[in-house]
Amino acid sequence: MYKIFELLDKYLIPFMTKLSEQRHLRAVRDGIISTIPLIIVGSFFLILAFPPIPSLAAAAKPYIGQILIPFRMTMGLMALYASHSIGYHLAKSYKLDGVSGGILAMAAFLLTSIPVVYPDKGIALLMENLGGGSMFVAIIMAIFAVEVLRFAKSRKLTIKMPEGVPDSVAKSFEALIPAAVIIPVIWLVRVFLGFDIHHFVLQLFQPLVLAGNTLAGVLVPVVIICLLWATGIHGDSVVGSVARPIWLVLLDQNIAAAAAGQPIPNIGPEPFFQWFVWIGGSGATIGLVLVMFFSKAPYLRSMSKATVLPSICNINEPVIFGVPVMLNPLLFLPFVLSPVVIAILTYFVMDVGLVNKPYILVPWTLPAPIGAYLSTGGDWRAIVLVFVNIVITAVLYYPFFKAYERKLIREGAAGELEEETK
Amino acid sequence: MKLLLVCSGGMSSAIVVKAIEKEAAKTGQDISVKSVGSGEYTEEVKNGWDLVLVAPQVRHRADFFREAADEHKVPLIIIPPQGYNPMGGAVILAEVKKILG
Repeated sequence: MYKIFELLDKYLIPFMTKLSEQRHLRAVRDGIISTIPLIIVGSFFLILAFPPIPSLAAAAKPYIGQILIPFRMTMGLMALYASHSIGYHLAKSYKLDGVSGGILAMAAFLLTSIPVVYPDKGIALLMENLGGGSMFVAIIMAIFAVEVLRFAKSRKLTIKMPEGVPDSVAKSFEALIPAAVIIPVIWLVRVFLGFDIHHFVLQLFQPLVLAGNTLAGVLVPVVIICLLWATGIHGDSVVGSVARPIWLVLLDQNIAAAAAGQPIPNIGPEPFFQWFVWIGGSGATIGLVLVMFFSKAPYLRSMSKATVLPSICNINEPVIFGVPVMLNPLLFLPFVLSPVVIAILTYFVMDVGLVNKPYILVPWTLPAPIGAYLSTGGDWRAIVLVFVNIVITAVLYYPFFKAYERKLIREGAAGELEEETK
Repeated sequence: MKLLLVCSGGMSSAIVVKAIEKEAAKTGQDISVKSVGSGEYTEEVKNGWDLVLVAPQVRHRADFFREAADEHKVPLIIIPPQGYNPMGGAVILAEVKKILG
């Protein structure tokens, strides 16, 4: 069993952590994370527009258009917000002016769309091009813009301000030459060569998005996240920096369908993992915490009491490092297996339509039954599924927990910390 | 002593902050701890800390954290995994003592 940890430490961990710490991916992760408050609050209005209670739904119906305005201005413009904050973080990582990076990225992204002229009304940009579905376009254009900014700076292609000009003014002029490159280049490619950058990037990433919604596509992140956590590395944050753009596109498609009153298409956006798989935290450790409550070993019993509240809020570092699960050959198998089993079950249950597919992003520290209910737009069957999943994980953890308990008792380590918790 | 504890989102570290404070109170040490997520870290580390503690689950980012810590001349240690739980205050303070005495 220890061999597994050695292999993970040698191959998977260095590769995955290097990947997630790659400069551009890191900027994408930090950039998208800054937009999450808008997604959470914005999609809350979706629940208001389509409340789960029939009488309320009927009352809200005439006002759906008005209720959805905050949703459209946040979630509906997700890629626009993200382009700015990805550009900001990428520029910062190069020790360049963050705001310059942000606005150049945003301009580069907006230039991939062509405005529509409505006589008498004015000129409009289609919001469809600016929502979460265009996330990959925002990412690519932000990288392009900031790389131009960096190139100009490294070749000293900047306009020098005379001594005495305030720093902030001088900084904004640093972006002048990069802007004079970025804007005409995209304009020429898009308008004169007629090359649809937007469409091209979407097509390029389409296979990834489709794959992210298959059973294999949800199981791969589940397994990698668990393997990373099994060696004590923050799996979600590592895998999320690669997978989150895909999850957001899937989520955006679901939200668009919900706002249009159509059936929800995708199973695999992030709330699927958050509420139905990572119950109690990664590795679905809530089952372990529950069975530890009845342990003969005082140490495990007190661990259960100390970790149950954070676990309800899906924070399980105390479990992983305290029990510990990390580098524990006896708990490795259920730690990886339980999430896989409940992910497969949940996938099929949603696929046949027994539980609604998730389309609303709710803060991840809510207890799983509540989060599952809200994220499926108020489907009570989601609550039942969460409890079924909890029972499954408890059953899967039980024999391995018993083996670990026996080991602790045999080694006389079972009661070590009992004093301290009193 | 002022300790800055950095984890991924600043959630789990809040639990560990309590564990450290409890242990410090028990042993009569004057210690204040603040927890931040990795996003806020580079801004916060400027504000005069005696030591940066890195949560074990983000230890693969230690070089990134160390860069900013070095810049502001703050020493940095990675918390041993067995200390990162609600009962791990003593383990962490023992590590802190090794650096700050």
